[in-house]
Amino acid sequence: MRRNDPLSRLIDGLSSLKLTLLCLALLMALVVACTLAQVELGIHLAVERFIRSFIVWWTPEGSALRLPIFPGGGLVGAVLLLNLIFAQLRRLELSWRKGGLWIMHTGLALLFIGEFATALMQVESNMAIEEGQTKNSSEDYRRMEVAVVDETDPEFNDELAVPDTLLKSRAEIADASLPFKLRVRAYHDNAALSLRGPGDAPSPVTSGVGVRMSFQPLPPVSADGDRNTAVAVVEPVLKDGSSLGVFLLSNGLGAPQGFISEGRKWRLALRLRLYRHPFSLTLKDFRHDVYPGTDIPKNFSSLVRLKDPRAGDDRDVLIYMNSPLRHGGLTFYQASFGKNDTLSVLQVVRNPAWTLPYLSCLLVALGLMWHFGLMLRKSLGEASP
Amino acid sequence: MKNISAALLPIFAVLLTSACREEGITRARVPKTETEAARPAAPGEVTMPGAMDAGSEAPSERPRGLSWTLPSGWKEVPGTGMRLATFLPPGGLKTEGTVVALHGDSGGELANVNRWRGQIGLPPTDEAQIASSRTPLTTKVGPVAVYDFTSTGTARTRLIVAVVKTGDTTWFFKLMGDAAATESARGGFLAIIKRLSPDAAQ
Repeated sequence: MRRNDPLSRLIDGLSSLKLTLLCLALLMALVVACTLAQVELGIHLAVERFIRSFIVWWTPEGSALRLPIFPGGGLVGAVLLLNLIFAQLRRLELSWRKGGLWIMHTGLALLFIGEFATALMQVESNMAIEEGQTKNSSEDYRRMEVAVVDETDPEFNDELAVPDTLLKSRAEIADASLPFKLRVRAYHDNAALSLRGPGDAPSPVTSGVGVRMSFQPLPPVSADGDRNTAVAVVEPVLKDGSSLGVFLLSNGLGAPQGFISEGRKWRLALRLRLYRHPFSLTLKDFRHDVYPGTDIPKNFSSLVRLKDPRAGDDRDVLIYMNSPLRHGGLTFYQASFGKNDTLSVLQVVRNPAWTLPYLSCLLVALGLMWHFGLMLRKSLGEASP
Repeated sequence: MKNISAALLPIFAVLLTSACREEGITRARVPKTETEAARPAAPGEVTMPGAMDAGSEAPSERPRGLSWTLPSGWKEVPGTGMRLATFLPPGGLKTEGTVVALHGDSGGELANVNRWRGQIGLPPTDEAQIASSRTPLTTKVGPVAVYDFTSTGTARTRLIVAVVKTGDTTWFFKLMGDAAATESARGGFLAIIKRLSPDAAQ
């Protein structure tokens, strides 16, 4: 007998096919909207706003209001995942006969979970490397960090990097390795820098090249190829409260800035977030092949030497389209090139969940084979006299 | 119902633990050869004329106007980036001299003095107080202004800068390092300044 309490009704709703169809329709609408929004927002921000969010927000022009206008891909995906699980548990009996469907549905659920894990854990960066150059770090595309570098040691620099998320959320950055606190006076994702003019308002900046600069905050840009000029106004303050100067840092300023305190030489910089890796790549050769007599690309490839003392690896690897290098939890894809084909840009992706889609596809294929195999055997059995 | 909860629990656990991932401060010890300082300026970067210690890239072409003679025991190392030359005093002292030449007045006296003070953690000063930190010297190449600042604290840093003008070019001779070492090298450094002569190539 069917129960009619609220919990049962909720479970009925969550396992209904109508909900599946509604979610699929919403996802289709989101994909169309996201594709159109890419023109203005660029791929990354469009995907963040439409697909990797729980709610799609809209801000009317000239207003500070944020209005929820549509369920985001995260919410629809989560409901679809629940729908799949509830439908499976409610409708499918646990038997060998339905084993294929169980495996197939598990594969689908894994696909959803994999996308959630990717959205939350994936970190993408770029490694631009010239022929003959060796690199063991990659730079984020968008995220910034303030680097506080102790340059006193003649052999090594001790770097401390503060991500932009902390610069935006905290007024002071303190760390046991620093003899001072870093007071964050201002942080802007994007700004226009210019030389100070006679009519400019007094600047809070007292040290470094920023003394002669002024800046005007701007809305961040996100379209592909656009670049933000982030600005941080920071003040190192000693434990006794004395200031070591107020610095204007920006990725748009090429000049190094710093100070000497207690005999230690410090450098400050605002830069794209840097990810250091325990292994190095040396670009031996970059190839950009075209079809004879045309400019149509035939092949892009980077021949790199991978050296990883910890793993005992020292070998040549050819990275080309659809054949990335996977090493140390990172995947290196051929992404771009420059400088008359002497510079290769590799996209570096850290995604702990990268195996889930493959596992998912394998399970779905296995489930289908199981199910159709059973169906085929049954129909052959029925057909035989 | 129990089965459903049991099935959902690990999924929510994965999502929750993933969502709780917080970014923090990172630390790294990096060999100097790998540092970002060696990185060429990114497209669109503004390189500032006041960056006296800028870069470790190709040596600058030396502008004409001045030549110098080093006292006995001092060594000259070719400069890199905007730095034209580096002077090393004898005895491995923890201080070094540098030469930078810039077109124009490079922002003016007050801006330069405050930038130097900022480099050793001293607060900015004003026009009225600059005179007390300026010592005039007379040399064969004309008047030279010498500034001398020492940081506060237990491990003090001293900075001595001599500013010379030749035509449209301003030359900055700087001696900076450990306060005691800089005091030991001060005599030799000032001897370099006093012996400056017009460039023979001119």
